[in-house]
Amino acid sequence: MTRALAVLATLVTFGATAGCHHATFGLTTSNDNDATALASALSRRQLSETPTPVGSTHQPRVYAAIGAPTRSIVAFELATGKPAWKVDADVQSRIAVGGDFVVELEGKELVARDQARGAVRWHLAGPGALVGAAADRDRAYAVWHSGTHFAITAYDGASGGKLWTADADGALGAPAAQGGLVYVPFFAQWMSILDGRTGTPLARLRGIDEQISVLHATSDNLYYGSKQGVFRLAARSATGTRAGGEYAALKVPPQLDHTSYGVDAYDPVQLAYTAADRARILLRAEASDAGPLKLKGDGYAISYFRYVFGFGAGGELRWAYSHPRVELVATEHTGYVIVGVAANGDVVALEPQTGAVRFRGSLGTGAEHVIGATFDADGWSPSSQSEPIETVAALVGITRDHDARFDRVKELAVQALAKLPGAEVTKELLGVLADVRAPQKLKDTVVDLLVARKDPSSLPVLTAQLGVHSDYLLRTEPEALGPVAKAIGGLAGAPLEPRQVSEALAALQSHLDAPGTATPDLVLVIAAMAAIGGGAERPALASHLLLYHADDDLGGDAGWDQAIVHALELHGGPGEHELLRYVASDPRTMPALASLIRDGLPPR
Amino acid sequence: MIRRRLVRGWALGLGLASAAAGAAPVPKRPPAPAVRPPKVKGVAASEIAVLDSTLAGADVEAAAKAADALGAIDAPAAHDALLDALAMGLPAPVAAPALTALALHPAPPDVTALVRYAGHHNINVRATALSALAMYADPTARAAVIAGLHDGAGLVRGAAAAAAAKGRIRAAVEPLFALLGRGEEPAARALASLADPDLVAKIADQLGKVPDATLAQCLGYILKRPDFGPDPARVEVVRAIAKIQDPAAINALTDYIDLTPKNPPRPSRGEAERLVEARLGGGK
Repeated sequence: MTRALAVLATLVTFGATAGCHHATFGLTTSNDNDATALASALSRRQLSETPTPVGSTHQPRVYAAIGAPTRSIVAFELATGKPAWKVDADVQSRIAVGGDFVVELEGKELVARDQARGAVRWHLAGPGALVGAAADRDRAYAVWHSGTHFAITAYDGASGGKLWTADADGALGAPAAQGGLVYVPFFAQWMSILDGRTGTPLARLRGIDEQISVLHATSDNLYYGSKQGVFRLAARSATGTRAGGEYAALKVPPQLDHTSYGVDAYDPVQLAYTAADRARILLRAEASDAGPLKLKGDGYAISYFRYVFGFGAGGELRWAYSHPRVELVATEHTGYVIVGVAANGDVVALEPQTGAVRFRGSLGTGAEHVIGATFDADGWSPSSQSEPIETVAALVGITRDHDARFDRVKELAVQALAKLPGAEVTKELLGVLADVRAPQKLKDTVVDLLVARKDPSSLPVLTAQLGVHSDYLLRTEPEALGPVAKAIGGLAGAPLEPRQVSEALAALQSHLDAPGTATPDLVLVIAAMAAIGGGAERPALASHLLLYHADDDLGGDAGWDQAIVHALELHGGPGEHELLRYVASDPRTMPALASLIRDGLPPR
Repeated sequence: MIRRRLVRGWALGLGLASAAAGAAPVPKRPPAPAVRPPKVKGVAASEIAVLDSTLAGADVEAAAKAADALGAIDAPAAHDALLDALAMGLPAPVAAPALTALALHPAPPDVTALVRYAGHHNINVRATALSALAMYADPTARAAVIAGLHDGAGLVRGAAAAAAAKGRIRAAVEPLFALLGRGEEPAARALASLADPDLVAKIADQLGKVPDATLAQCLGYILKRPDFGPDPARVEVVRAIAKIQDPAAINALTDYIDLTPKNPPRPSRGEAERLVEARLGGGK
C-alpha cells in the first residue's frame, strides 16, 4: 500500500507537470474497470481452447540463455528431447516467443530470430532502455523508457517494422501479449489492454485493493496481480477487487520467502533472468463464474531453487521434489506438467498432482551453464511413464542438504516429514539429530516435531536410537538422548505394544543407570519412563532415587528433583509414596529434595 | 527389619511386593576372603547397632569411619549393616569406604550392590566399586569390571584394569589391549599381571600398533613379576623390549637389571645387560 501511495503521489506530481498531454497511458485517459469495455476486449482475444505452444509449429520448446563458454541461445524440443539449434547471442533480457520468431535484447539491440534455425531476422536499436518485451503470433512489443518518458512500440514480427507507439504519462512495466492483445502495466496500479494490431486502448483495469505488478500470459489465460496474490483475467476482473475477481492469495510457507507469482514488471533487474526466477509459484486456473480463483487440479506448486513442492489448494504439502545437485533456474506449469530447466542444462518434468518425474532430458553439450529460460510448452504432456514418487526421499534429501542457504527450507521439509506416519520417517528425523553439520535450529525443530508426532509406530525406532551408549573404547556417545527420551515421553497415552514398551523401558533404564548420562538428559529419561511405563518403571526409579537422594550433585539438582519426585508421586502407588516419605525423612536427603517431597505428598 | 527389607527391595529394583515378602536378598555369612583385615572379634551387637546408626547419619565423616569400622568386623550383622546402608543410598564420601568395607568379607549378595555403585555418577565411587568387584568371581561382577574398561573417566578405567588383573579376568584382555593402544599405563600394568608366555607373545606383537613407551612399560612390568618365568620366557621378554626404540625400553631393562641379583646368574639379566650396553654404548 505504501508503494501504491507513493506511485499515486508521483502520478499527481507527474500529471501536474505534464499538462494537457494526450498520452495513451494517463490518469484520466481511460475509463477504469469498465465491464463492457473489458468484455469487448476479451471477445477480441484469440486463444486456443486448450493449452498449446504459441510457436507456429505448436511443438513444445524451451529457449534457454546460456552464459558460458559462450553466451548463446539453445532451442530445445521437449517432444523429442533434443536441441533444435544453438546460436551465439549476447542475451541481455528474457526471451519472448512469437509465432515463428523469438525476440530479446542482445547487447543493446532488440533482436528477432527465426524459430526454425535461430538466425537473426531483424534487429534494431530502441529509443531508450528496454523495460520489457513480449510477442504474439505476428508482432513483438517493447516498452522503452528514456529518462522519465515511457512508451510501448509494436514491431512487425517478420520485418521488425514499427507498427505503432503509445506514450505514457508515467511508468510502464514489462508488457505481456496474447492472442492479439497486449497488456501493459501502468504505475503499478493499472493494466491497460491494447489492440496489438493498432495500439488502440480497449480497456483498463485498476487494482482497487491489489497492485498490478505481475503479468503472466499463457496460451489460454492471463494471470496478473502482485506479490500478494494472483487474478485470472476474466470478465469479473472489471470489479478491480479481490472479492469480485477470480483471485487467490495462495499459502506460501514462510520458509519459502521471496517466492513470487511471476516477474515483477517494474523491476529493471528482472528484465533479464535472475535468481528471482528460482522461487516461483506455479499454477494453472480454470474459469469460474463465482468465487475465488479455481485452481486446476485443486493445487499449486512452488519451485524453490533445487526443490519443487506441490501443495493442495488449502496449502497442505502434497509432495516434494529435490533436483540433484543444481538449482532449477526456470520453471513453468504447462497445464499438464511442471517443467524445469536446471543450471547445468537438465530438463525435468513433474506430475503436478504427485510430483512424479515424467521426463528427464538435457539441453546438450555446451549448455551446462544456463542463465535462464523461457518455455513455449503450453499443453506439453510427456509420456505417461513416470518414475516412482519419492516425496519422503526428497524431503529427507532436503533436510540433509548442507547448503546453509536452505536452512529454512529444511525446517519446512522436516515439518512435512513429521506429518507423515511411519517408523522410517522417525528414523530419518533422528538422522537429522545425528548429523553434526545440521544447524541447531533445525535440530530444535526436529525435537519439537518428534515430540508432537505421537506416532506409536516410532517407538521401536526411538528405542533403537537408545542403543548407543557412551563408550571410551568404541568412541561412541549417545545420539540425541534427551530429544529421543522426550519423543518417547510424548507417546504417553498412545496405543503402544507392551513388548515394545518393555524394550523401551529397558533401553531408557540403561541410560538411567549409565554414569555418563548428563543431568538434563537424565531428567528427560526419567520423565519418559514415567510417561510410558505404566508402573513397570517404578522399581528402577525408586532405586535411582535412593541411590542419589543424598548425593550433592544429582540430589542437589532442581531439575532432577522435580523429575524423580514427579515420576514417583504422580505415577506411583502407595508403596512409592511410602518411599518418598522415607526419603523426605532421611536427614541426609538434600534439603530441597526433601522439601519438594513434603510439599507434594498428601498427608498420610 | 521389615523396613530394611523394603528399602533393599526398592534399591534393587525388585518392587514392593517381593521386597515386603522378604524376597530381597539377605547377605549370608561371607566365605573366607582373599585378604582379610585384622578381625575384630567379640563385638557386641549394640556396638554394631551404633555403627549402623552412625553410618546412616548425616555426619559424613563419622559415617565414613563407621563404614571402615563395620568392615573390620567379621560378623554377618556388620555386613548386613553395610549392605543396608548401601541399599538406602549413601553420599559419595561415605559410599566409597562402605564399598571397600563390604568387599573385605565378600559374599555373593554383595555383587548387586557393587554393580549398582559401579554405575554411580561419582567417579570415585565408581572406581571404588570396581576395585571391590575384583574380589568376586561372579560373572556379573566380571562383566561390570569389563564394562568399567570402557568408562569415559581415566580413573575408573584404571580401577577396572587393576580389578581385571586382580580378579584374573581373562575376558578383559581384549579391551585391555585396546587401552594399551591408547597408551594407558594401568592397562599395561594389568596385562603384565595377567600375562603368561602366550600372552607375552601377543603383547610383543603389538610393536608398532601401540605406543612404544607403553609397550615397553608393559613388558618391563612382566619382567618385574617374581612369578613370571622360567628364565627362557624372561629372555623372550627382554628381546621383545630390545626391539622398542623408545627410551622407555632402556628404562625397563635397566629397572630389571637393578632389581635382579647378579647371582645366581640369569641369562635374561645378562641379555638385558648386553642390550643396554649396546644401546647406550652405541650412543657414545
